Amino acid sequence: MKNKKKIVDIPFEEYLKKLEKIVQQLEEGELTLDESVKTYEEGMNITKLCLEKLNKTKKKIEQLVIKSEENYSIKPFSEKEGEDTINEY
Amino acid sequence: MNNYKESKIYTVSKLNKYIKKLFENDFNLQDVWILGEISNFNLHSSGHMYFVLKDKESQIKCVMFRGNNYTLRFMPGDGMKVKVRGDVSVYEKRGEYQLYAKEIIEAGKGELYLAFERLKEKLKDEGLFSEEIKKKLPLIPHHIAVITSPTGAAIRDVITISLRRFPNLSILVVPSLVQGTFAAKELAKKIDFLNKYFKDLDFIIIGRGGGSIEELWAFNEEILARSIYNSKIPIVSAVGHETDFTISDFVADLRCPTPSAAAEMTIPDKNNLINNLSLLNSKMNRAVKRNLELKTENINSASRSLKYQGPENKINQYYQYIDEFSIRLNSRIRHRIELYEERIKKDSQRLGSLSPWAIIARGYSICRKIPGKEIIKRLEQIDLGAKIEVIISDGKILSKVEKKEVVPS
Repeated sequence: MKNKKKIVDIPFEEYLKKLEKIVQQLEEGELTLDESVKTYEEGMNITKLCLEKLNKTKKKIEQLVIKSEENYSIKPFSEKEGEDTINEY
Repeated sequence: MNNYKESKIYTVSKLNKYIKKLFENDFNLQDVWILGEISNFNLHSSGHMYFVLKDKESQIKCVMFRGNNYTLRFMPGDGMKVKVRGDVSVYEKRGEYQLYAKEIIEAGKGELYLAFERLKEKLKDEGLFSEEIKKKLPLIPHHIAVITSPTGAAIRDVITISLRRFPNLSILVVPSLVQGTFAAKELAKKIDFLNKYFKDLDFIIIGRGGGSIEELWAFNEEILARSIYNSKIPIVSAVGHETDFTISDFVADLRCPTPSAAAEMTIPDKNNLINNLSLLNSKMNRAVKRNLELKTENINSASRSLKYQGPENKINQYYQYIDEFSIRLNSRIRHRIELYEERIKKDSQRLGSLSPWAIIARGYSICRKIPGKEIIKRLEQIDLGAKIEVIISDGKILSKVEKKEVVPS
């Protein structure tokens, strides 16, 4: 499942490049009306996707607690407790 | 217990002074050569040098005062293996014994340094540092892990800087020892663990704040280098201060001089990105608007030119053409007529001036034979006694030829 996700997941850089190209095409002004409407729509769509990408993650500061080779838990990060957990592994 | 009263009671300073004397009276401790590796070297602004001399098991503090160290032919530094000549004595204030160095000779490079160089060469030959295998970090990380000490300034800096640049980032702190005998193995295990259970991580920052070469040593060990090399998740190595290079730095996909720098270099500034996007967006809007205006203008001008080329317009044009033509024709003809009239007038004037009557009026006359009315031009045409008529402007004179005389011309 993860692999599938990776394929669909176009890097942000690519989106930016595409958007820059769209702006350039529109600025050159050589597109037909239909084309420029289509291109504009694509640009708006990419902008939306970019913003979604920027905002999709939630802020989270967590700490990994490894209990054994196969067993772990995650808890909110706290600097004070950190020291004790080092030796748990 | 011992008899308290019989014991001697010293002050601390007296004790230290006593011990110092013991050292100084022991010739084994005076003017001796000591072999070891320099560590924690510090050239104080006073000009005195402070450092630690050590071997694998043990260490001793050393000082070399300015009066002695100005003769040195090299600048001592951490990791150098040296022979130091000096006196071992006591620094009474602290109750510490130390080596007062008078002379330092380089004894080849330090063993740690050599071990570092040997491992570096070996791993380089195996291709662990090769640029082609370095993985690219995504521009927008969502989920990153930081393997480091959970209590140092390093993790605090990484979290603070990362969140400042990208406020909605997910950071997984993976606590680990970062120095000491077990540190390298533990760091390596943490990398392996993340690769097993957290495959979705965008990358891992592994590092610690600066320290002596010994403190950073875990990052020079082979076991950690192998783990970094084998990691499917990109690894960012961020060890120590800017000048320290470790084996981890060479193997990692990205080397940053410090943990703070790692956050600056790997986490994008979200505001910047959004500004960039909205700039592109407004550029796009402007371009489309201008495009539409241009197209509208095109349509308007096309409909205007369509009107010009319609049949109504053509007929009108022909009318106008005909009108114009007839006007031109008329004026042409009139002009022609005028021209002829003018010419006739001129011709008739010229004709008038050529008529014999006009000549006669000026005093010339015509002679004609009678009868026959043949105009006489030469003497031989007439005989003496013949009758002739002379025509002048207002009548004629009948005459008789009395004499013929040749006038030489």
